[in-house]
Amino acid sequence: MYTLELIAGLLLLCAIAYHLGRRRAFSVAQGNIRHLHSLPAYYGLYVAMWCGLPALFVLFLWTVFESNVITQLVLADLPQKLRSLEADRLELVISDIQNFVSGNTVSGEVDASIKAAGLHYQRLQFTSHAALAVVILSLVIGVGFFSLSRINAKQRARNAVERALTGGLIACASIAFLTTIGILMSVLFESMRFFKVVPVTDFLFGLKWSPQMSIRADQVGSSGAFGAAPLFVGTILISLIAMLVAVPIGLKSAIFLSEYASPRFRAITKPLLEILAGIPTVVYGFFAALTVAPFIRNQGSLLGLEVASESALAAGLVMGVMIIPFVSSLSDDVIRAVPQALRDGAFGLGATKAETIKRVVIPAALPGIVGGVLLAISRAIGETMIVVMAAGLSANLSFNPLDAVTTVTVQIVTLLTGDQEFDSPKTLAAFALGLVLFIFTLALNVIALYVVRKYREQYE
Amino acid sequence: MMSLDSLLPETGSIDNKTDHKTVAPSFKTVGEFKLKDPRISCQNIVVRYGEKLAINGLSLDIGRNEVLAMIGPSGCGKSTFLRCINRMNDTIEGCRVTGKIMMDGQDINSPEIDTVPLRAQVGMVFQKPNPFPKSIRENVAFGPKIHGFVETKAELEEIVENSLKRAGLWKEVKDRLDQPGTSLSGGQQQRLCIARTIAVNPEVILMDEPCSALDPIATAIIEELIYELKKDYTICIVTHSMQQASRVSQRTAYFHLGELIEVGDTKQIFMNPKNRLTEDYITGRFG
Repeated sequence: MYTLELIAGLLLLCAIAYHLGRRRAFSVAQGNIRHLHSLPAYYGLYVAMWCGLPALFVLFLWTVFESNVITQLVLADLPQKLRSLEADRLELVISDIQNFVSGNTVSGEVDASIKAAGLHYQRLQFTSHAALAVVILSLVIGVGFFSLSRINAKQRARNAVERALTGGLIACASIAFLTTIGILMSVLFESMRFFKVVPVTDFLFGLKWSPQMSIRADQVGSSGAFGAAPLFVGTILISLIAMLVAVPIGLKSAIFLSEYASPRFRAITKPLLEILAGIPTVVYGFFAALTVAPFIRNQGSLLGLEVASESALAAGLVMGVMIIPFVSSLSDDVIRAVPQALRDGAFGLGATKAETIKRVVIPAALPGIVGGVLLAISRAIGETMIVVMAAGLSANLSFNPLDAVTTVTVQIVTLLTGDQEFDSPKTLAAFALGLVLFIFTLALNVIALYVVRKYREQYE
Repeated sequence: MMSLDSLLPETGSIDNKTDHKTVAPSFKTVGEFKLKDPRISCQNIVVRYGEKLAINGLSLDIGRNEVLAMIGPSGCGKSTFLRCINRMNDTIEGCRVTGKIMMDGQDINSPEIDTVPLRAQVGMVFQKPNPFPKSIRENVAFGPKIHGFVETKAELEEIVENSLKRAGLWKEVKDRLDQPGTSLSGGQQQRLCIARTIAVNPEVILMDEPCSALDPIATAIIEELIYELKKDYTICIVTHSMQQASRVSQRTAYFHLGELIEVGDTKQIFMNPKNRLTEDYITGRFG
């Protein structure tokens, strides 16, 4: 709370600094702002920036280190009896003190020494807050007046402000980038821990998936197997079924929308089609599990086929419907981006509309269409909910779409739900699966981007 | 300049006509718009884009094995007229063409006429070179393939070679027929488009400002090519370059605001125009 108040005060000071800077710029210009290098507002921003940024930096560092420093100080003053405790017991004492300070419930009786330490802690905290306010205020006023006094007509205030803004933008962009790196690193390190127990080749090419580990050597059912091949096969099978549904339907609806449909029809239909992508996957999931899967089983039994009640076919079909808009919407855009001149050229040679579409428009748009399809595939591979609900959990190594199969994502979910210990191969296997999935979809995305970029160069 | 207004009593009414009745042409075309033995005879053509009147009752004959140049300021309807002759206006939504276009005793503007054989017979070369994103060979082979002209690969190769030779491109591309057509230079691309048109063996070739995107050297090559092609084909060319019209054509037609002002022997049009508007345009006082 205290930090928030400080930031609010800081903002107020910055606003004042902005005004002062602007006024100063006006007075330096002697009424004619053409004498200035930058517009007066930039001088205001320049001063406000110098007031705000260093103070914010100090505030940040202070908040990060404050509690550590205070804790150390409090610890140093604790009675010898408490100080000589083991590390984990000491931590408990520290959290007792901190709880006491913030007025939360404290574990057990409050010891007199802890009470004293708490009060000490509070005093130190108060001093720290006061010191922080003084430091920030003097920093703001000092730097503010210094930069205010330096304002002159030749100063490049605009350039400085724009550089600072660029810096802010870079910081924002790097957050997304660093997050990706962070996720990748954590997955990578956990996977390496897993691969110390289970060899990489066993994991990638093993044919049996039964993720459990024995606690004792003589335990029943202690044979854990971490061969992920059935999961890869299941993932590929379901994605393949999904693509068999989505690509023909999506592509054909894209051709219809872009080449044949009237503008009004298109304006209504395209958003409707895109809604398919907006339905929560869990809704698709129970649609697949409760409607499609039983339907397929019933039809199958009529034909005398053995169909599992949870089948890859049901999950794949529903997933295919879900990703139709990925294919159709992107393909529609690239087909419409094919220059009219190419169509005219084909028409001018006496090609019919169908011939023009088949032989000129689609080949010209193909790279873009492939890009859309690849994006749809990576979506299909990463999809979890539908498969959990409709395809089951049994890791069968089977290419039969009527069998129950499972996928990489589903296994990650089952490995990590519930209470798990994070040092057994069972849970670490989830990270290894995640790593494989990550590499696979990353590769697909890179290919998709490459293909799409190649397409862009074609008609310049 | 000041005399223009008096010459054009109804100009304002041409562009913004809202009723669908034909407006009486405000001009009587000067010169011989009718020929004795025309290849194509256009009679009283009216074209509207939605409510907008683009061509207002135009009649013009196109002779056999002649190059007819169409000149005029932008928006005067030359390209629109050109696109009537192979029904390319069908592809534009809201465009309606009325009138008779007689070719081989048939009205090719009638809805019963199938545009597929018509466009094979009346080919078109566009303003901007528009090779398909396929190989050079595939570009030329496109027409013969879709019309089923060929059965064997050897026949197709022969057509490709002949067409490229007639378009004057063979020597430059014979060693790289499998490279994409888009890899050629602008002038080569345009000659490739001409070869592509020739490959379906048309009788009439329509050219819509074929050199406007090309440099002077490429333009000169194409102009020479047009001169050569004239022996076997009837050619209509829309151009903004009056030098080009005078170099390549035998007859020239001057269009103005959707009407045909004057048509006649190219030499006569450029040396001795009869209509004041034509004179103003070719002497650069207008347009």
